[in-house]
Amino acid sequence: MTIAASLPQSRGEKLWDLLEKAGCYLLGILWVLPLLYSVWMAFHAPEYEVRFELFAPLTLENFFNAWNAAPFGRYFLNTFMLISTILVCQFVICTLAAYAFARYEFRGKTLIFMLVLVQLMIMPEVLLVENYRTISQLGLVDTILAMGLPYMASAFGIFLLRQTFLTIPRELDDAARVEGAGPLMTLWKVYVPLARPIYVAYGLVSVSYHWNNLLWPLVITNSVTTRPLTVGLQVFASPDQGVQWSVISAASLMTSAPLLVGFLLFQRQFVQSFMRAGIK
Amino acid sequence: MKKTKRFFKASLPAFALLAMVAGAEAEPVEINFYYPVAIGGPVSKIFEGLIERFEEGHPDIKVNPIYSGTYSETFSKALTAYRAGQPPEVAVILSTDMFSLIDEDAIVPMEDFVKTDEDKAWLAGFNPVFMANSRSQDKTWGVPFQRGTTLFFWNKEAFKEVGLDPDKGPQNWEEVVDFATKLTKRDAGGNVERWGMQVPSSLTSYWLLQGYVAQNDGKIYEETGDKTYFDSPEVVEALQYWVDLAAKHKVMKPGVIEWATNPKDFFEGRAAMITTTSGNLTNIKTNAPFDFGVQILPEHKKRGAPTSGGNAYIFNDVEPQKQEAAFQFVKWLSMPEQSAEWSIKTGYIAARDDAWETDAMKAYVAEFPGAAVTREQIPYMVPELSTHENQRVARVIDDAIEAALTGGKPVDKALSDAQQEAERILKPYRD
Repeated sequence: MTIAASLPQSRGEKLWDLLEKAGCYLLGILWVLPLLYSVWMAFHAPEYEVRFELFAPLTLENFFNAWNAAPFGRYFLNTFMLISTILVCQFVICTLAAYAFARYEFRGKTLIFMLVLVQLMIMPEVLLVENYRTISQLGLVDTILAMGLPYMASAFGIFLLRQTFLTIPRELDDAARVEGAGPLMTLWKVYVPLARPIYVAYGLVSVSYHWNNLLWPLVITNSVTTRPLTVGLQVFASPDQGVQWSVISAASLMTSAPLLVGFLLFQRQFVQSFMRAGIK
Repeated sequence: MKKTKRFFKASLPAFALLAMVAGAEAEPVEINFYYPVAIGGPVSKIFEGLIERFEEGHPDIKVNPIYSGTYSETFSKALTAYRAGQPPEVAVILSTDMFSLIDEDAIVPMEDFVKTDEDKAWLAGFNPVFMANSRSQDKTWGVPFQRGTTLFFWNKEAFKEVGLDPDKGPQNWEEVVDFATKLTKRDAGGNVERWGMQVPSSLTSYWLLQGYVAQNDGKIYEETGDKTYFDSPEVVEALQYWVDLAAKHKVMKPGVIEWATNPKDFFEGRAAMITTTSGNLTNIKTNAPFDFGVQILPEHKKRGAPTSGGNAYIFNDVEPQKQEAAFQFVKWLSMPEQSAEWSIKTGYIAARDDAWETDAMKAYVAEFPGAAVTREQIPYMVPELSTHENQRVARVIDDAIEAALTGGKPVDKALSDAQQEAERILKPYRD
């Protein structure tokens, strides 16, 4: 890269470079436009939803209205508890399973791994009734655990981590063993640190998925004390009446803010992780 | 097999009642109530207030209100819970999903619980047109709750501007075209600044088509729920008229018009006349920055408009004692006073004549005459399209309407294709 940059560029290359940059900006602007528009709507009175005036009076009223339409404070807490429970369990279960699939030989390994992969092909919606039945037999209907349970043994996570663990040289494993580390210690000291970017990338995918998940949480929970943010947002879906875009914008900005802020803070880490993990 | 089960169940509530009297001192009977939110505003709070009052009058019953998303999510949630063996005792679900619920054996008819003369009078008090979407095989499977209809709105200022009488909306199909032509405003470059007429077509567009078909003296389905008439001449003419508003007369925005933005276009003066749900009455009243008129839908061969909205259903496979409690709740909720209150606070139509005679309702109509327009339309209403596998059939006709409006298919072709498809879905239910 540095060598290429130091060489004198031909005119064609320069033009190409320029075009590429222009393309990036164009796509970037197209991508951010809806977000900017919803920020505009959220901070202005409903009259300005479709009229652009640079100095239109700003207001926070939409946020107050949105906040009061549903118990969002509680919903934030529930969502936070939900995604942290899921994430912790997913990391533990997927790590252990992936380690077993990557480094151990046991009877029926291929078959079991195939079964795990089959889970990838099944839409969670298809299992709605069966999952409900299981959860109600466990007596867990209307709990935060119930919302997370079906997602904890994630086939995607197991697959992703197994592939990563397979790329880690056996020599490192052997070296750790020579130093006297047991299997779990080896996993903890060798595999997990080396797979860190994958954990970050997978964690982000998982968190954003469960932050946005609606149907299963709505079906399995009944009370304010367990329901997540997405259910609260549904209060604004009012097809029988006109839609109040400004309040909806305020509500969705409010509920996605933690994710947006988190992404901005850890942007560099995320981008690097995704480059290495090769997923999107 | 299922029939005998149901018959057996039907005789149980009598015992349940005895048990309830005997155990009056014991724990209150708890029932779960799923309700959807189809309009904006603090609906949850209104429900909580109603339930509090119900519980004061019925200390032996405790109602857990469970907000369950939109109508279709409520349907999924209730059916999932039912199949997993934990149905809610009561749920408000679209009236058009009645056949689907019956086919699943998920609900029980109200007749199982109606015993006293008072109960019978209550059940007879609903307006027949609303009951058409609640009854099948001589049984009442749910009672009307939060029903609506379509209304016609116009911008009085725009009327004045083009020299029309602002206090008189168009009364028939020809007048709509005539007025809309006058009201459509184009700038020098031929770009439209204001459309004369806008009819939403993004979702459940069959519903608006039904209005046109009723005005054209036809119908789009049989109330037994197993036959549609999508390709009948009345339906073809009706859809042709709708398509022509944009395609031939060029007085309506071409393509699909979104439900959600239609009222907005009206407020912003980009559409001079619109049709939309009666649920929008309060929205328009609060947000239109000009004087507006509201009336029932214009006529063609006659007046006509569809109903819409939900039913409160009592679920199957629930302890009889709980079903009985659920019945008490449903009955209380649809008494005249509560119907009137719900109607005033949300804009839905009270489905009972006696609700319109309550003092609260009379006072409301006196203060806001627009509210009475929905009642004026009741004699001309037709039930909403409701068949077996309703969501599939509705989808078929919606797609046909969209194809016709966007010019993808000619009207008659779109409708005959739709009829064929609907026939394929519904045939098994007739044999």
